[in-house]
Amino acid sequence: MSRPTTTASAGASASEQGVPAARSGTEVHAHRWTWQHADRDAPAVSELDLHIRPGEKVLLAGPSGAGKSTLLHGLAGVLHGEDATSSGRLLLNGLSPEEARGLAGLVQQDPESQVVLSRLGDEVAFAAENLAVPREEIWRRVKRCAAAVGLDEYPLERPTAALSGGQKQRLALAGILAMEPGLLLLDEPTANLDPQGVEQIRDAVISAADATGATLVVVEHRLGVWAEHVDTLIVLQPGGGVSRRVPASAVGEDEQLRAELAAMGLWVPGIDPLQQAADVAGAVGDRWLSARSAARIADAADQVDSPRGVDVLHGADSLHRADLLRGEQLAVSRVSPRKSWRRAAAPAPVLSGVDITVRAGEAVGITGRNGAGKSTLLLTLAGLLARHGGTLCASDQLRGEAASSDPHQWSAGELIARIGMVFQEPEHQFVASTVAQELALSARQAVRPGSGEPLFTPEQVEQRVADLLRRLNLEQLSQANPFTLSGGEKRRLSVGTALAAGPSLLLLDEPTFGQDARTFAELIALLREHLDSGGSLCAVTHDEAFLRALNATEHDVGSLSGSGCGADSGAPSSRPAGAQESGEEATGALRAPEAPAVQAQPSAAGEDGGLPMLRGAKDQSWLGRRNALAKLIALVLVTCALVMTIDWVSSAVVILASFLLLPAAGIRISTFLGRIWPFAVGAVVAVWGTAIAGDESGRVLLDLGFTTVSEGSLALGAALGTRAFAIVLPSVIVFSTTDPTDLADSLAQQLRLPSRFVLGALAAMRLLGLLAQHWTTLGHARRARGLGARGGAGGRLRATLSQAFGLLVQAIRMATRLAVTMESRGFGAGPRTWARPAGFTAADAPVILVGAFIAAAAVGAAMAAGAWNFVWT
Amino acid sequence: MTHDSARPAGASVSAPATAARYPQRARTFRWSVSDIVVASTLAVASGVIFWGWNLSYHFVGTLFAFYPPVETLVHGMWLFPAALGALIIRKPGAAIYCEMVAASVSALLGSQWGLTVLSSGFMQGLGAELIFLLFLYRRFTLDVAMLAGAGAGLAGGVTYHWIIPMYAYAPLETAIHIGSFALSGAVIAGLLPWLATRGLAATSVLSPLASRRAHQESAFGVGRVRP
Repeated sequence: MSRPTTTASAGASASEQGVPAARSGTEVHAHRWTWQHADRDAPAVSELDLHIRPGEKVLLAGPSGAGKSTLLHGLAGVLHGEDATSSGRLLLNGLSPEEARGLAGLVQQDPESQVVLSRLGDEVAFAAENLAVPREEIWRRVKRCAAAVGLDEYPLERPTAALSGGQKQRLALAGILAMEPGLLLLDEPTANLDPQGVEQIRDAVISAADATGATLVVVEHRLGVWAEHVDTLIVLQPGGGVSRRVPASAVGEDEQLRAELAAMGLWVPGIDPLQQAADVAGAVGDRWLSARSAARIADAADQVDSPRGVDVLHGADSLHRADLLRGEQLAVSRVSPRKSWRRAAAPAPVLSGVDITVRAGEAVGITGRNGAGKSTLLLTLAGLLARHGGTLCASDQLRGEAASSDPHQWSAGELIARIGMVFQEPEHQFVASTVAQELALSARQAVRPGSGEPLFTPEQVEQRVADLLRRLNLEQLSQANPFTLSGGEKRRLSVGTALAAGPSLLLLDEPTFGQDARTFAELIALLREHLDSGGSLCAVTHDEAFLRALNATEHDVGSLSGSGCGADSGAPSSRPAGAQESGEEATGALRAPEAPAVQAQPSAAGEDGGLPMLRGAKDQSWLGRRNALAKLIALVLVTCALVMTIDWVSSAVVILASFLLLPAAGIRISTFLGRIWPFAVGAVVAVWGTAIAGDESGRVLLDLGFTTVSEGSLALGAALGTRAFAIVLPSVIVFSTTDPTDLADSLAQQLRLPSRFVLGALAAMRLLGLLAQHWTTLGHARRARGLGARGGAGGRLRATLSQAFGLLVQAIRMATRLAVTMESRGFGAGPRTWARPAGFTAADAPVILVGAFIAAAAVGAAMAAGAWNFVWT
Repeated sequence: MTHDSARPAGASVSAPATAARYPQRARTFRWSVSDIVVASTLAVASGVIFWGWNLSYHFVGTLFAFYPPVETLVHGMWLFPAALGALIIRKPGAAIYCEMVAASVSALLGSQWGLTVLSSGFMQGLGAELIFLLFLYRRFTLDVAMLAGAGAGLAGGVTYHWIIPMYAYAPLETAIHIGSFALSGAVIAGLLPWLATRGLAATSVLSPLASRRAHQESAFGVGRVRP
């Protein structure tokens, strides 16, 4: 495994055999280092003394709130001091983290906020550019580092959006390896990944560290993933300091250490968190578990020990357990099966032929490989997506007085009183400003089917809220803003918001993703309680422990025939035939753990080309290959000519020229017409506006009393309308053939606009697709909270506003994480180089000339026709 | 240019103890990476909202067919990124930057005004920016936010009629057109962004930014109100 490490002296001397160039490992020192974030009452890290040897591999653990992430961010040089207080020193090879820029590379938890640019090669090059590495050397490093993490099977042009979560994490690793760092920092890099992705990123990290000799510090809840592969375990304690520093092998041997770690809520190999939680609660009366949930956990633990536990418990009714919800030959898709003006044909389902039944008092686990359509199936079962085919039928018991047996037809209030949905990202479900209001909202929104009467009286609502706050152990936090809770608290609250409406069926999407062992145990206790009271549940999960703890029936959708067909629309054909990524890659899995509305995106964007910038692939037409600035200059010239005058002749010239240019842009006339017809409608509106609001001149054609339409005002309106239409056509042509990355390169390198801002905007543009997915998911989540359509106009407005606000929160959350990613890759702190040169070539001259010619022809024709009507007079 | 290598003051040393008490005085006006990426993301998202709004405006616009000069009562929708960006980032240039980027993105996606949205975006952003400058980037209260929204509308109206003329209205109609724009700006692009900023601050997502305490500030005063 370990290879001889060559010494520093930049990459030039590095080997070309797929091994990242080596720089000896960085030494880390902390001397009484303290950091207190702005507006916090206590320091995140206090008086820390720490020494990590060059090349040492460290697993950093500790209970939540021990400052692990703060320490990693400090080492990565991304902590900032405005309003924060700090003291002591943190040193990398004797330098402060700011001085040691480029020495440390950071990989964070969320794969989505690890990707800055839209193409694989550019992404790997980004950090090296920020460190001003020469261009030729950048591309050498890109190839080497992509190979080192196993991504060299893809072309460098591959859109990053087409990578799975695990691949994105390896891409992030490649990006920091291209900095040739001496210190690799990983902050829960595998928390959002499925088991297969976890091993791949772990192996890539270890082999990179071995190959380069870099020091490694990894923070992780699941100690088993790393313990056998690292040298040292360091345990931080809340309030400051190191409580343990032992060889990592002790995780498997030292019983006292194991017990300590488990008590912190960490996943210790060989320790069942349920048993652990029960023991701890029983022995010491733990402060984080109410006596009631402790008893619940103990129950759950007992039942896991005896596999027949559930049947014993429900012995009486297990024989005639009734079906609650039954799907037969279900076909599901994110994209609505209805036709629309955007789409000629109904989209292919992502998953079809599913037979699934959920019975009263039963737990069902939906499993299967990534991208198989599990989340889509769950949303369909939850009545949030319309089914594409087959039948979905709620039993009379579940349906009650509802008019239809298809949950999708129920009003939001009827739905939540029957089927509760817990989304993978708890924040998607939050709509109120306090925890208590959040719970009360669900209870108030629940209605009796048929009559539409509230299900609970105000007194009952109050009672339910009080009751749930206690069960969720959130009493102390009842007035806190839901978004400010910790990860585990948010997870409990999201389950609570579903339970508050009193559903008998609870659906959950990956409820244990990224959770520590303590939250896991609490969650199991809650769900156990729901099952014991006669409720049912159905969860999409990768988590074996979760299935076992609930004695769930497993329903594997990955093995179904027909699954995955149609999900492939997002994977460009550039994928090599021998792609190895069987599981996560087979569907072009664009799987975003936080925003599961994935498969809808590429097809929606690709079909009508509505959002060209989301495509990620370069336009290959003649115009598409030209320099972006040249196209922009041509566009400015034509636009200026039109803006100077209000007449229909110059506009007509530009409209004609635009249609003549379509072949050069590789745009079919039907596609073009499909995109511009709304603008023609807008032009007609503009004609009317001026016709009645313009100065009266000539014969009056129409007298409305308060205003008139005259010959003069109508002619002026017609000229303005034609001009409005003419202005938009060239920009549609230019922008639909221009790649945002190319445009940004040109703006920064040729126009010399501030590169920090240009690249910031470019990075934000990549988030667009994600924001679109969040928007869709937030919409589903509103309905799952009892808001939205069929709730009256007021309800709809409220749902839309809360959806918009939810999107703002997610946008800023993503942006701040992305900023950390960018800064940890050296962005924004010094001169940079550009991996992609932007400059004019001889082939760009015709672009500008054609633009100038069209502008001149428009002006000339207007003057010749005597229609010239200069605006600034 | 941005290659200024200076780190923000206080990046590596601890902030003075007084910083906590007088946050606005101790602030630097240099944009951090977080400022840039958050502003960009807000602006890009706004650009997409513009794009959707542009499309629906083809129909919304016809609602004013009886008297087109008052159509600007809903044009504040094109102004909100200016105040939203400024209120959240609280650094010079935020209003212009957000409005410009939002306009550019809507142009990239295809807007009915083509490239001219760049000039209107700049002018509208400038209208809001000047108001925040007037208060030296120290006040981000409700009144200032609404003034900024109105400023953006005023500048937008001036652009419509004299800078890049898109209308040929009679004088009275022109005055009504611009006045409605300013009013719309004050509400849609002043009041709403101010409320949104407070809501966001309460969720703690603004913690890396200068507006992190917006929800604790009083609506009109400069002082802070404890929750």
